[in-house]
Amino acid sequence: MTYPRLVLRNLLRHPLRTLFTTLSIALSIFLVCAVLTLPAALDAMFERAASNVRISVHHKAGLTYWLPFSSVQKVRGIPGVAGVDHYSWFGGIYDEPKNLFPNFAMDPDDVEAVWPDYGIDPAALARFRKTRNGALVGEQTMRKFGWRIGQEITLRGTIFPVDLTLQLVGVIPAASGNPLVLWFNRKYLDEAMEGRGGFPRVGMIWVRAERPEDVPRIIHAVDDLFRNSEAETAAESEKSFYTSFFSSFRGFIRVILAVGVLVVGAVVLIAANTSAMGVRERIPELAILKSLGFRRRPLLAVLMAESALVALLGGLLGAGGAYGIFRALGAAGKTGGAVPFLGPLGAFRVSATVGMEGVAIALLVGLVAGMVPAWNGARLNVVEALRRLF
Amino acid sequence: MAIPLAYNVRSLLVRRWTSLFTLGGIALVVAATMLLAALVGGLQQMLVSTGEPDNLIVLRKGATSDGSSQLSREAGQVLRTLAGVARGPDGTPLASRELVNQPFIRTRAGGRENVLVRGVEPTALAVHRAVRLVEGRMFRPNLGEVVVGRGTLARYRGAGVGSQIEFGRRRWTVVGVFDSGGTAFDSEIWADVNDVQNDTRRDGYSGVRLQLDSGADRYAVVQRIASDGRFTLEAKPEAAYYREQADNANALYLLVLTLAVVMATGAVFGALNTMYAAVASRTAEIGTLRALGFGRGAILVSFLSESLLLAGAGLIVGMGLAAIAVLAINTLLSGVQFSMMTFSVATVLLRLSPGGALLGGLFAGAIGVLGGLAPAWRAAHLRVVDALHRA
Amino acid sequence: MIDIRNVSRTYARGADLVHALERVSLRIPAGRFVALMGPSGSGKSTLLNLLAGLDRPDAGEVVVAGQALSQLDEDGLAAWRARHVGLVFQFYNLLPVLTAIENVELPLLLTSLPRAERRRRAATALDAVGLAPRAAHRPRQLSGGEQQRVAIARAIVTDPDLIVADEPTGDLDAKSAVEILTLLSELNRAFEKTVVMVTHDPRAERFVDAVFHLDKGVLVNGGPP
Repeated sequence: MTYPRLVLRNLLRHPLRTLFTTLSIALSIFLVCAVLTLPAALDAMFERAASNVRISVHHKAGLTYWLPFSSVQKVRGIPGVAGVDHYSWFGGIYDEPKNLFPNFAMDPDDVEAVWPDYGIDPAALARFRKTRNGALVGEQTMRKFGWRIGQEITLRGTIFPVDLTLQLVGVIPAASGNPLVLWFNRKYLDEAMEGRGGFPRVGMIWVRAERPEDVPRIIHAVDDLFRNSEAETAAESEKSFYTSFFSSFRGFIRVILAVGVLVVGAVVLIAANTSAMGVRERIPELAILKSLGFRRRPLLAVLMAESALVALLGGLLGAGGAYGIFRALGAAGKTGGAVPFLGPLGAFRVSATVGMEGVAIALLVGLVAGMVPAWNGARLNVVEALRRLF
Repeated sequence: MAIPLAYNVRSLLVRRWTSLFTLGGIALVVAATMLLAALVGGLQQMLVSTGEPDNLIVLRKGATSDGSSQLSREAGQVLRTLAGVARGPDGTPLASRELVNQPFIRTRAGGRENVLVRGVEPTALAVHRAVRLVEGRMFRPNLGEVVVGRGTLARYRGAGVGSQIEFGRRRWTVVGVFDSGGTAFDSEIWADVNDVQNDTRRDGYSGVRLQLDSGADRYAVVQRIASDGRFTLEAKPEAAYYREQADNANALYLLVLTLAVVMATGAVFGALNTMYAAVASRTAEIGTLRALGFGRGAILVSFLSESLLLAGAGLIVGMGLAAIAVLAINTLLSGVQFSMMTFSVATVLLRLSPGGALLGGLFAGAIGVLGGLAPAWRAAHLRVVDALHRA
Repeated sequence: MIDIRNVSRTYARGADLVHALERVSLRIPAGRFVALMGPSGSGKSTLLNLLAGLDRPDAGEVVVAGQALSQLDEDGLAAWRARHVGLVFQFYNLLPVLTAIENVELPLLLTSLPRAERRRRAATALDAVGLAPRAAHRPRQLSGGEQQRVAIARAIVTDPDLIVADEPTGDLDAKSAVEILTLLSELNRAFEKTVVMVTHDPRAERFVDAVFHLDKGVLVNGGPP
């Protein structure tokens, strides 16, 4: 009889109870993983999409203020700039309003210079440059609507009084960190707007610096360039831009995390209950073991191990389940748009990190829950316990 | 006759820690569910103004909200003078042509956020009847004056009657505060539409709100607007518009429900463990009761009641916890910031609703029943003779 | 009063079949105090369970006070027990969370008596066993002998025709054991209750009217001690 075998036997003694506890923990960890994807998604966005050499330039007053088209060329002239592209929110709707995804008009020729890290297929980029009404689409949006390369789609204008028919020529990989967006050629929008007063403006400008060290200097240079002009700019690093953009989500995420904490609390209580029940029932055995000479610490370890093992199993089951289920949902395109409020956060990507965090929490729960009962059990006064027996 | 409830209550009390832990687990599940429901409730409250019964909202065809719509100056003028639009005491049409903008603004905490600035006409207060000035006065056109919603006061720098507030290309003077009964308007700043057009260098509007004559044929007006070939517009009653907005929140409700079901299932397993253990340790008692003549039904009901008692106690504690959490979030954090896909930010106050409490109660009940039924069944079907000799 | 005809009972213990009773027949006239004795495994407890309506025979007939128990279904047996039988067990089997008087009151919950009446009868029964001052005490606050007396009070509170006791003195010291046997004897004589007792206790012989011996599921001999 080895210690590990003792642990295992004890767990199998009440198979239903062990099963129920494991399932309970599994379900809760599943939830915890789902909740943890939210801050993880936010962070991932910053990590991947926010490179440390890209700068966003927008009107000082806000994103709804246009910059004159001429600004783009002026920015190109700043030393240390490796690439410049303009970016204008079109806000078109595909099919139903609730299927909103971000779509922008921009210059295909500059994509490679500003977003080389996105990993877009060069052939797709070439097609994008050549096709007048071509569009590149983020992988997730592509999957969600079941689009295919070569397909034509129509975007209905909301803030622009035109509808545009675009041809899908390529994919923006999900690894870029920007898996939802659609990019099309700004010239196509210009043509459409010709009869309606034209459109000599841009929403934003993206700049890529040659080296990270140049970023602060370029930011100052851009703002200096447009100070006191018709369109004063506020340039900032891509990271800073996204941080403000999603800061409004943080409060919401905090509430969700609070809920996650409550769930973990519930799990601790349930696991502790099970552990305590097990120990209580085995007081006679423990007394006998101690009277035979087994020492306190090994017994403590055995009892803690039982609790930890159950929790670990539950954690693996829950985290694994979350990984598998959300992955399948993501592949089927079911996530992402399911909760329109969350926008890109609604993708519920369970990464390996999130999964491991879930398992770690489970293990912690097992240890915490097992602690007090195990301590009481190991500390048992042999004489007292044996007296209760006979 | 039934086994007295006192037996169950005392049995629960005797197994103090087990009962407490299980109760705690259920309470936390209920609290979490109610917290989520309160979040959604607050969202709904924010989104769903019921809208004025006589009002129409006119947007570009296909637009989902007035933040993502555009219509021309000419269209605005035509809509204003439509037959069926009510007129104020001085004869001005009760139409509010509005231009929605989302500039940056500095928060009191030093951060930067998007705020929804609604450029409106002075008739806006007459058209949006639910919005009332609670301090100061309405702005005068073309003077860079603004009125701010109640929800902005604590949040944004310069939001207070008499002070200057900065957004867009200029400074504005706050001359009044309005209250819209807890809807999204409370997070907005209302300025003169001409001033906003100048500031954004834009012509035209986002949308128009029309108040119709009490005798007007609403559907005829909607048809008129839709069939006008010069523009692509769509009019709908405000109530319908807000109901569509609410659909977004309903999707969230589905998410909350899913989360709650998963949580509750976890708690059910916890309850099952407790109740099975209870039955196992009270086999002799069960045998005695059966021997004395209590039928299987009575035993079943008794143990099921015990589980429900536990769940009920968990429900009460959970509701208390949720109430505390909601209070804390609302007062200490002044609500939860929420941004809709139109980029503007609104503060959502969590709202505990009877619906949320009902949801919590439903789940507590389900946990009690599902966690207690199988063990109660086992208890009821113990063989009397075996149970007695298990002593 | 009790007519047991050719009764057999077999049950499974693990993989084995145990023939607890083999064609046992027995008659107990009303108003007698009877002991069932025998070595461990002789089937005496099984026999007791059968005549108390706690178990059914595989073959044969059990008739108590004119009622053929085989004609009653599970719920019917329960109701019958509640009305006609008072049970006393070796380990008292009191509900630990109820007080003494509440334990005694339990069988009355199966009647339609109003609350005040139930309390009154329980108090009377408790008084009859001499434990009225301990009515509000919980079992853990009582000695073994006192607990058994509460159990006996519970057994008589519905005024049953038959009292069945399974090793009532098995867990008691000598003094308490004698007290219990005396009490049962008094109940038998003063109130004319038929008492059937399974026991190991040799002291029991001087309290009872008749002793039946069982061995390996068969009645060996029976008659006055």
